Amino acid sequence: MSTRIILFAALLSAVVTAPAYAQQAPAAPAAAAPAPSWQQGRSNEQASSTLHPFAPHMTGRPAKDLPIDKLKVPAGFKVEVWADDVPEARSLALGSKGTVFVSNRNAKSVYAIVDKNGKREVKTLLKGLNTPNGIVFDKGTLYVAERHQITRYDDIENNLDNAPAPKLVVGNLDPQNQPGHFWKFLAMGPDGKLYYNVGAPGNIVMPSYFQATISRVDIKTGVVEEYAHGVRNSVGFTWHPVTKALWFTEHGRDWISDDLPNDELNTAPRKGMNFGYPYCHQGDLLDPEFGKNKSCAEFTGPVQKLGPHIAPLGLRFYTGKMFPAEYKNNLFIAMHGSWNRTTKHGYNIMRVVLDKNGKAAKYEPFLEGFLTDNKGDPPMWGRPVDVMQMADGAMLFTDDYNGIVYRISYKKK
Amino acid sequence: MTDFRPTTLIAAAIFAAVFIWTAPAVLAADIEAGKRKAETCAACHGLSGNSTDPAIPSIAGQPAQFISTQLYFFREGSRKNAQMLAIASNLKNADLNDLAAYFSVQKAAPAKTLAPEKIETGKRLSQQFNCVACHGATLLGQQHIPRLAGQHAEYLRTQLRGFQAGTRFDMDGNMTSAARALPAAEIDVLADYLASLGTP
Repeated sequence: MSTRIILFAALLSAVVTAPAYAQQAPAAPAAAAPAPSWQQGRSNEQASSTLHPFAPHMTGRPAKDLPIDKLKVPAGFKVEVWADDVPEARSLALGSKGTVFVSNRNAKSVYAIVDKNGKREVKTLLKGLNTPNGIVFDKGTLYVAERHQITRYDDIENNLDNAPAPKLVVGNLDPQNQPGHFWKFLAMGPDGKLYYNVGAPGNIVMPSYFQATISRVDIKTGVVEEYAHGVRNSVGFTWHPVTKALWFTEHGRDWISDDLPNDELNTAPRKGMNFGYPYCHQGDLLDPEFGKNKSCAEFTGPVQKLGPHIAPLGLRFYTGKMFPAEYKNNLFIAMHGSWNRTTKHGYNIMRVVLDKNGKAAKYEPFLEGFLTDNKGDPPMWGRPVDVMQMADGAMLFTDDYNGIVYRISYKKK
Repeated sequence: MTDFRPTTLIAAAIFAAVFIWTAPAVLAADIEAGKRKAETCAACHGLSGNSTDPAIPSIAGQPAQFISTQLYFFREGSRKNAQMLAIASNLKNADLNDLAAYFSVQKAAPAKTLAPEKIETGKRLSQQFNCVACHGATLLGQQHIPRLAGQHAEYLRTQLRGFQAGTRFDMDGNMTSAARALPAAEIDVLADYLASLGTP
């Protein structure tokens, strides 16, 4: 309410004083607003840049209207549409009875996709949520991370047509209605705690004490602790199937240049590590502003530089039996794209092969074909968001630009 | 440190404008279906999307993604308008896509004429306040961003004042920020200028 009054007063004063502008040099009105977060940190020369983030088709686009046959996977693999009309499909979670849960951001809902009498059905399971990007299924319960809270929906797969009332796991996660990276990713750790990100409140700003972290919450007590620091924004974490260490993707800052800094693949095997934001990017690049009088040596760098502005999101290790043996324990990363560079890249799924020491021995494309014109606007016709392994070993991935879930499978010759 | 080359940007902007024009990625069936569903819209917006009431926006030749996105936000109650909520609430996503396909290929009505000195001022403002950065060099809109060229000045003024007041829904904060940088006295001339720009 008070915000509205202030805005109204500001507008009123702008209107009342309007005649003065006619005689004066152009001046800012009383009610200046901060730049949108994606513009924050631009230089004066960059103010007229035509680079901009891409908005999803909020109503979804049917697969029949799209060049699905342009998608490419390695020999022996097959990619196909698994479900369309899932507008703004973001994170994936798999129920123990086979339900595929899909989240979104702006569409405020969570979908449940089930096979019913041989037909795939997309149900809108939850509605009216606040940026419900993060979802995870564990022991019969669906957990949902909205921008301000994490809730649980128990026994969800037996109640897909009438979801139970949510129970609060932890609230007050966004007390200041922060700008910037306010949506959350959610994952269940091997310790039985829920892990989530609290992103930086802008492109390149000093975060407050609990921002730019990966945090975790004990689902029984609701007690929260910060796990990793200096993480600008992570929208994907998972645990290594053997070492049980946490691995996560991190988006680097924008508006330094086309080629800097790289986005990151990181690992945080223990609590308390700091990954550098806002002082140091990609492990070896001091921030032009915040990095003065700092050293990258005090921070943990990435396992793999993923490429500048490529926007890595969901990632999972492959542990299934369908793909060839050399894919076992490989890491797959969904790349959402690269709006903040003049020549676009990404919009693919990348494969990372780790050696015995946990170093990236190979980093190569696994699924390509969404990028059609690297100077185009838009340059692509789809954007991968999350990857997930199914019970049969096939892989699903989401595309929020069109609202489509795809399936990648492998067949021995 | 920066890697931005103005020539590249201009080329990209021109390319974007051409690309949007030559690639209306909509199917004939969608357009036909959209035309059948557009009867309700026609009462206020006109059958071709060119409204005669200056308070009601011209939707002819708007980018398809812009139309479907706005209909979506009306239906979900994010962008507040009782009449549009009532109309959109009965429509499914496929209907919104069909309507968007139909109106996006309609031809916008000829623009209003404007005195040359006002055109100069308006052009300067559209560049100074970065309208062209997102709405495109010729202000024809792109993707989810609307065409401003040839839009009713009265409608544009109302939207800009709504953004300034924080009462107009803004998906990403871009227009609230852009509109609040704009001196109140400049809104009229900017809106008149945009209304005077031709559409292809």
